[in-house]
Amino acid sequence: MSDWPPLLAVFLALPLTAAVLTPAVCRSSSTRGWAWALVTMLVTSVIGGVLIARVATRGPFSYVVGGWTAPYGIELRFDEFSAAVAIICLLGVLAIVFSRRYAERALQAERIPYYYALLLLNLTGMLGFTVTGDLFNLFVFLEILSLSGYALVAISGEKIAEMAAFKYLVMGAISSLMVLFGTGMLYALTGSLNMADITSRLAGAAQTPLIVALGAMTLGFMVKAALFPLHVWLPDAHAIAPSPVSAILSGLVVKVGIIGMLRLYQIAYGSGAVDLAGLNLVLTWLGALAIVMGAFFAVFQDDIKMMLAYSTISNIGYIVMGLGLASTYSVIGASVHVFNHALIKATLFLGAGALIHQTGKRTLTDLAGIGKAMPFTVAAISIGAISIVGIPPTAGFLCKWYIALGAMQAGHPFFGFALVFGALLIFIYYIRMVNAFYFREPRDRAAVDVQEAPATMLIPVLVLATLCLVMGVLGRLPLTFIEPAVERLLMPVGGG
Amino acid sequence: MIDALWQNLDYAASVVLFCIGLYTVITRENLIKKFMGLNIMETAVFAFIVALGVVEGGDAPIAGSGAAPPFINPLPQALILTGIVVAVSTTALALSLIIRIWRQCGTIEADELREAE
Repeated sequence: MSDWPPLLAVFLALPLTAAVLTPAVCRSSSTRGWAWALVTMLVTSVIGGVLIARVATRGPFSYVVGGWTAPYGIELRFDEFSAAVAIICLLGVLAIVFSRRYAERALQAERIPYYYALLLLNLTGMLGFTVTGDLFNLFVFLEILSLSGYALVAISGEKIAEMAAFKYLVMGAISSLMVLFGTGMLYALTGSLNMADITSRLAGAAQTPLIVALGAMTLGFMVKAALFPLHVWLPDAHAIAPSPVSAILSGLVVKVGIIGMLRLYQIAYGSGAVDLAGLNLVLTWLGALAIVMGAFFAVFQDDIKMMLAYSTISNIGYIVMGLGLASTYSVIGASVHVFNHALIKATLFLGAGALIHQTGKRTLTDLAGIGKAMPFTVAAISIGAISIVGIPPTAGFLCKWYIALGAMQAGHPFFGFALVFGALLIFIYYIRMVNAFYFREPRDRAAVDVQEAPATMLIPVLVLATLCLVMGVLGRLPLTFIEPAVERLLMPVGGG
Repeated sequence: MIDALWQNLDYAASVVLFCIGLYTVITRENLIKKFMGLNIMETAVFAFIVALGVVEGGDAPIAGSGAAPPFINPLPQALILTGIVVAVSTTALALSLIIRIWRQCGTIEADELREAE
C-alpha cells in the first residue's frame, strides 16, 4: 500500500468522466469543447508526471480498486513500461491543441463536441490499458480505445471514411475476441485474472492449452499493432481519419498491441512455464517482412497521409523484430522505439495535417514547392523525415542502433541487414517527399500560394520536431530508465 | 480421442460455432451478414468462457440458500456480462456505420463498394 493511494485511480477516472460529460458541457460550442478537453488532458498529464516520478524513484507500485485485495479484485499497477503514459499524455495534449482550427474546417459543427469526447475516451482507454494489472480489465480498456477509434475514423464523414472504419471495426473486433478467448484460457489454467498472480501460478501448467492461449492473444495483439500481413485495415483508416486522429492512431493506438505483447511476455517469461523460442522466431521474421514490405508499399504512394500510414507498418516491424530477437539490447531498443516513433509519426501526421488544412491538397504532386510558402511546417516535417530514417543526431537513430546491436547479440546478423535495407527504402521515399516540398516546381502556383499555418497548429508541430532532435541527444535517458525493467523481463524463472 | 471429445462437448461446440462465424465473415459480401458472422464468433467465445465455470452437479454459491459444495464458479458469467455489453456497443456502432454507407453509396455489398471506389 502506498501513502498517496487515490492518485492512480484519479488518473483514469478524471479523463473518463470528463469524456462522458463533454457533449453535455459544451453543447455546440467548439471552443468550449476544445478548452474542456485541453484542461482535462493537462491535469491528467500532471498526475501522470507525478506517477512517473514515483516509479523512477521507488519502483513499481499498485492501487487496489474498491478495496478488494490483489488476486480477487482489480489491481492497477504502475511499472516502468507504464511510463508509456508520458507519450500518451504528451500526444494527447498536442493533438487537442492542434484540433482547435483543424476540426472547425474538417468536421461538421455539431459533431465537434463528440469529436473531443471520443478523443478523450480513446486516450483514457490507452492510459488504462497501460496501467492495469488485471487481464480482463485489459480487455475492457482495449475495447474502450478500439470502439472510440473506429468512431473517430468515421467522424470526418468523407465518402470512404465509413467503409474504412467498418473494415477497421471487423478486424479489430475479431482481434479483441482472440484476446478475450486467450484470457478465458489463462483463467481456466490458473483460476486467476491478475497478471502477477497468473505468472506465479502458471508453472507446470499443461503445455498445449497454454500455447493456444498465448498464441491467440499474440495474434489478437498483432492485428491491433497492424503487423504485416495483418495490416490491411491500417492504410485506409489512418489516411482517411482527421489528421490529429491519424497522429493518435498511428503514434499510439497501434502501440497498444505492442504493450499488450510486452505484458504477455511478462507473464510468459516470468512464469518460465513455456518455451517462447518458436514464437520469437515467427515475430522476428514477420517484423523483418513488415519493415521491407511497409517501406516498399510506401515508395509508390502519392498521397502524403497514405505514405505515412505505410511507414507506420514498417516501423511496427522494427519494434516487433526487436521484441522477437529477445536480447537485452533489442528489447530496450524496441521499447524506446515505441516512444520515439510516436513522437516522430505525430510530427509527420500533424505537419501533413497543417499542409492539407492550408492548401486543401494532399498529394505530393499537388504539394510540390510548398516549402517556400510554409517554411516552418515543412522544416518540421523534414526533421521528422530525417528522424524516421534514423540519421544520427535524431530520435530515430538510437532505437534502430540498439535493435541492430540486439540482432548481433542474439547471433542473427541477417536481421541487422534487413533493418539497414529497410532504412534505405525508407530513406528513398522520405527524400522524395522532402525533395518535392523544397525543390520541385509547383504544378499550380495558386494552389501553393498560401499562408503559414495558424499558431495552434504550428506550435504542436514545432514542439514535436524539437523533441525529435532533443530525444536524439538525450537518448540515453529513456534507455537507462527502461533497462532494469527489460532485464527483469528477460530474466529466467522467478524474475517477475 | 472420441471419448475426450465427448467429455468436452461444450468446448468443441464453441470451436465449431467460432469457425462458422469466421467463415461467414470471410465469405459473405453483404456487410450486415458479415457482421452477423462476427456476432456468431462473439457468441462462441462467450459460450466457451461461461462453460469454464460449470461444475457437474454444483450449486450456485449463494449465502444462506442452503447450497452445499461443490460450487459453480460464477466469475465467468460476470465477465461475460461485461463482454455482452461490449458486443452490443460494437454492434450498434457497426449498424450505424452500415446505415451511413447505405445512404452515401446506395449499396452495402462489399464487392460493389470496392468497384465504386
